[in-house]
Amino acid sequence: MTEIGIKRRSFLKTGAAAAGGLMLGGGLSSPAFAAYPDRNIDVIIPTAEGGGADRLFRAFSSIWKNYMNTNFEPGFFPGASGRVGYEVYMGKYEPDAYSLIFGNMGPEVLNWAVQKPTFNINDYLYFGRVDTDPGVVFVGAESKFQSIDDIIAEGKRRKLNVGTSRLAHPASIGILALGEHTGAQFNLVPLSGGKKTVAGAVTLEMDFCVLTSGSVIAAGDACRTLLVFNDENAAGDKLNNAPTMNQYFGTKLPPMFSARAFGIHKAAVDNHPDRFELLQKTFKQTFSDPGYKDAFLKTKGFWPYSNYGGVEECESFKSAMLELGERYRPFLAGK
Amino acid sequence: MKMDVNTAFFIDLFFHQVGLWWVVIPSIFLGLIVGAIPGFSAANTIIVLLPFTFLMNVEVGLVFMIALYCASRLGAGIPAILVNIPGTAGAAATPLDGYPMAKQGLGQRALSISFVSSIIGGLLTTAIALVTMPWLARVGFYMHSVEMVVVMLFGISLIASVAAKDTIKGLIAGFFGLMIGSIGADHVYATPRGTMGFLELYDGVPLIPALVGLFAISEAFMVIETGSFMAKDRVQTVQNANWSETIKGVRITLSRWWHVTWTSLIGLVIGVIPGAGAAIASFVAYQQSRTFSKTPEAYGTGHVEGLIAPEAANNGVTAGTLIPLMVLGIPGGATAAIMMVVMQYQGVPTGPRLFMERPDLGYGVFMAMFVTYLLMALTILPMSRYMSRVTLVSTTYMSPIIIAFTLVGSFVPREYLFDMYLAFGFGIIGYIARKTGYHVAAILIGVILGPLLEQYMLRALKMSDGDPLVLFSSPLGNTLWLVLILTLALPAFLKKHRQKAGSRS
Repeated sequence: MTEIGIKRRSFLKTGAAAAGGLMLGGGLSSPAFAAYPDRNIDVIIPTAEGGGADRLFRAFSSIWKNYMNTNFEPGFFPGASGRVGYEVYMGKYEPDAYSLIFGNMGPEVLNWAVQKPTFNINDYLYFGRVDTDPGVVFVGAESKFQSIDDIIAEGKRRKLNVGTSRLAHPASIGILALGEHTGAQFNLVPLSGGKKTVAGAVTLEMDFCVLTSGSVIAAGDACRTLLVFNDENAAGDKLNNAPTMNQYFGTKLPPMFSARAFGIHKAAVDNHPDRFELLQKTFKQTFSDPGYKDAFLKTKGFWPYSNYGGVEECESFKSAMLELGERYRPFLAGK
Repeated sequence: MKMDVNTAFFIDLFFHQVGLWWVVIPSIFLGLIVGAIPGFSAANTIIVLLPFTFLMNVEVGLVFMIALYCASRLGAGIPAILVNIPGTAGAAATPLDGYPMAKQGLGQRALSISFVSSIIGGLLTTAIALVTMPWLARVGFYMHSVEMVVVMLFGISLIASVAAKDTIKGLIAGFFGLMIGSIGADHVYATPRGTMGFLELYDGVPLIPALVGLFAISEAFMVIETGSFMAKDRVQTVQNANWSETIKGVRITLSRWWHVTWTSLIGLVIGVIPGAGAAIASFVAYQQSRTFSKTPEAYGTGHVEGLIAPEAANNGVTAGTLIPLMVLGIPGGATAAIMMVVMQYQGVPTGPRLFMERPDLGYGVFMAMFVTYLLMALTILPMSRYMSRVTLVSTTYMSPIIIAFTLVGSFVPREYLFDMYLAFGFGIIGYIARKTGYHVAAILIGVILGPLLEQYMLRALKMSDGDPLVLFSSPLGNTLWLVLILTLALPAFLKKHRQKAGSRS
């Protein structure tokens, strides 16, 4: 009997331990207590597959996944200047930090100022800026304009046609500010995309064009850069050693960047601060990982444009864009 | 790398490219497949295979892309002729006469005509491009928005030709197409119009769902009713067809060498203009072919020249679209843009520096295109006999296959389920149009060319601060206006002239 009693006691102990273990195990496997992340993280990219954002995302996530111990799965939702991707992200994805958006804070945020989205723009926030690519003023190789002074002088005599990828673009804001400052007259003509904007300058249909510098650098000798909308010309001779607007004209225009960054639902930040903290921490770690520079350079990206920014930098840029968008809204929206 | 560019250089380059047959031939077959499946294209296939392209030697990578590009352009005509499914917008004018030929049991001959006109058009324009590249690249410096408005009107005036048999219905269909084409954000302020709240329509009605819906799905509905692609006596014709049908197609096309030549030149010139493309070229070529034809009334019923014109033109575009990239450094189209990415990745410059530093690559791209077209003559032409047998497959099987393929094809470019519903919706519109005697081609011309016309028109007006007289402000534009008026008036004049001559005799 003793023997049986011992057995019963040990059975009860073991059973209790097993039950506890099972409960704990079951509890751990339930979403509420799981270690984050326990599955892939979806990343919505509001541009087409194969483009610059895609290549940059793949370079960054190839290193970031090592710190997060999970894969980042891209979903491409191009259209309406990025609007489709944001609407899909905000409307269809749960705010649980298992989905992010990888957008362009410059043109996409300006877009909100021109046409409000269906969601509240404060319901998401950018937390990880990956690069900054400044807007530039450029002409085709055969243009008669040799310097920005030539453009200003001509712009005071007649209204110049200025090609831009779209009206709601940081580079468009830059040229409007330059016109205000110098009194030159500019007529912005949207050419629907970077390639067409470069073509507009090269074929001399436009007097000159404005665009982010990456596309202009890619066009090589076909274009000549005359002014950079940033505090410095980090690309140097790749942008013909063009002066910056603030330096040359003594203005205080904030940098007119195209800046790609990861964003997240605000509700995910509020409800899962631990997850958000992990995302921020590993994002920063990725940035300082030497492997990332290699991956970035493999995409033929221009390393000086790789530019870390956290929540503070991103939010301040977002606010600046919204403010500028609001200021130039009548012009950008044609109202 | 310093090289002398002379005859010996070109001969050497030719044989060097022939030596790359092991890249060209597999790429041709891959290109044929992706060209023939609606929704797939050279551009999205190259994007998918981009990582492999990066790993290849730059020359091999470029040859691979060129061969794929040319073959996909040619491949898009195959389903357009056999089952009324244009694989791409560039082949949208091909079924106008190609499919009626297939319905008459002449699918094999139609394929042969299509292949030979494509190959001759491609060879001719590539050879011209090789020699005249620096001058052709200048076309983009003269053909600006104002001139492009007139070019678009050349294509859109085809609605009037299509509407010739029933003017009111044709014009209604054309305007309906133009209205559909105006859906989406406007080109200046990006204000959404007619999107009915669908975000997926902000960038306009996507072309592939419209294309496959109007042509293919509506056709599938029709053949479900009729039970066959062609009349029973025509089935016998297809069954009895042998190699002589292919040879006949070759002979017919070669006898119209001048037609192939000038329509492919239209493609070359339009292809050189950055942003213009094969869809514009093929419609303009078709319209011009019809205008100068002695038998314009036969167009749309399986007329040989109505098939030659779009096929020669859209293959003429292939060489043209690469010229701005190579000579100026600006990509003329989607495939050229991806090629630019690959060249940049490999550290190869584009634009004038390319011909100074790497003439073997600059000219080599066009020579690769030339060799691709030559090899296509050997590999594809014999296949026309077997391909044409598709029309013998029972509609019980073919209709669901067509619908399934086209719905998947609608999904592929943007990967939106919405696009599949849209294709189905266009299928129903096309079916109703066919049943009530409205021409689906007139609707499609409006859908394809309408947004382009609007884009160029708004750009010209924006540049002139809204002054409509800008449309008559350039000498080249005014010349084009004159030619447009003449070509619109010409058919009526010729008809009258022939009637007079007829009554005299």
